[in-house]
Amino acid sequence: MSEQQIEQKGYAHPEALVSTDWVAKHLNDLENVRIVESDEDVLLYEVEHIPNSVKIDWVEDLNDPLVRDYLDPEKFARLMGEKGIGPDTKVVFYGDKNNWWATYALWVFRLFGHDNVAVMDGGRVKWQAEGREMTLEVPSVPTAEYPTPTRDDSAIRAFKADVENHLQANGPMIDVRSPGEYSGELLHMPDYPQEGALRGGHIPGAANVPWARAAREDGTFKSADELKEIYEGEAGLAGGDDVVAYCRIGERSSHTWFVLSYLLGYDKVRNYDGSWTEWGNSVGAPIER
Amino acid sequence: MDRKERVAFLVDHFGNPRHKGVLEGADVQMPGGSPECGGSVVVYLKGDGNGGIEGLAWTGQGDTISMGATSIIMERVRNEDVTLREVLDLDYEVFVDSLGRDVIGSRTRNATLGLSTLKNAARKYQRDRRTQTEKRASA
Repeated sequence: MSEQQIEQKGYAHPEALVSTDWVAKHLNDLENVRIVESDEDVLLYEVEHIPNSVKIDWVEDLNDPLVRDYLDPEKFARLMGEKGIGPDTKVVFYGDKNNWWATYALWVFRLFGHDNVAVMDGGRVKWQAEGREMTLEVPSVPTAEYPTPTRDDSAIRAFKADVENHLQANGPMIDVRSPGEYSGELLHMPDYPQEGALRGGHIPGAANVPWARAAREDGTFKSADELKEIYEGEAGLAGGDDVVAYCRIGERSSHTWFVLSYLLGYDKVRNYDGSWTEWGNSVGAPIER
Repeated sequence: MDRKERVAFLVDHFGNPRHKGVLEGADVQMPGGSPECGGSVVVYLKGDGNGGIEGLAWTGQGDTISMGATSIIMERVRNEDVTLREVLDLDYEVFVDSLGRDVIGSRTRNATLGLSTLKNAARKYQRDRRTQTEKRASA
């Protein structure tokens, strides 16, 4: 897969995606580029990974171990240093499950103002399908100095109060969970009872677009026209909308946030990471079924 | 084993799963888990009629931890001739400790998918045997 094929898909910000060809050509550029694998299956990196890539674990690395929140700026700076990422390093994410966790990691990087980011279109599956090199070797990357950043949640993250205001203003929302979760039949994903909620349903007015509809079978993103058909044709969004996306804990909706922000060019999209585990457990929160 | 060796052990079981496949003539076929969340397995169990295990196998798909840990527990039970009663006494915490907390992290549910399904299979086998015995006694 090449950059030309990405260009042809008509995205608002095609630079937010790189091809497997691009990664193959740049994987030895340890000074300027860091390839980061972030998977749902947290030991996949240990099974094999793209040469010179480093691993970021969404639970252990990106979450605060005590408070329900992401890591603080000091820890982020330390993590970047360990992974050999400087403030100007171009970070290219890839992972399993249609880059689900790759986009989540990218979203967390953006909270800390690390904007030089991209996703490898097609993720791990595409790289492997093309028969490209994988390795067990963990690279020794040069440690980097990363000044402690400021975390700015306001632009791309929504808290419950923001969602309440958004609801009052009849702002558009996308619920990216499965139809069963959206309709309220399922209070949690099978086998994830700890991420359940006391009430089922969705935030009033939210449209349901399961996150993975943005991906093709080979793991790459659908073209801008195909995505517009889904998010604008079916879900009723319009360019320029201020959109809130949510799921259960904010990971699936980070994928949709990426699609709307980078691929379709919506300027104001926020990911509500409190999502249904917060809303569906909150006393008095309005719910629709 | 250090962390690296424990990871390699799990990854080896994931890549070369032991006792994987359908067991023809099994007394119990017990499903567990979910393909969307970590993994799903089916445990096939055949008892020897005296509280022991004559045959044990499993099928499934899922992530490295759930599949690797299922293979590890199946091999352990087979190699050590663990009885049905002993299967029910196996401790989840001890099993996760043996895999390595530093490897499993918060994915204890994935790590114990195989063991919990095996326990369910053992319980079903014992229940079925009791029902048969009661039927015979009342016949």
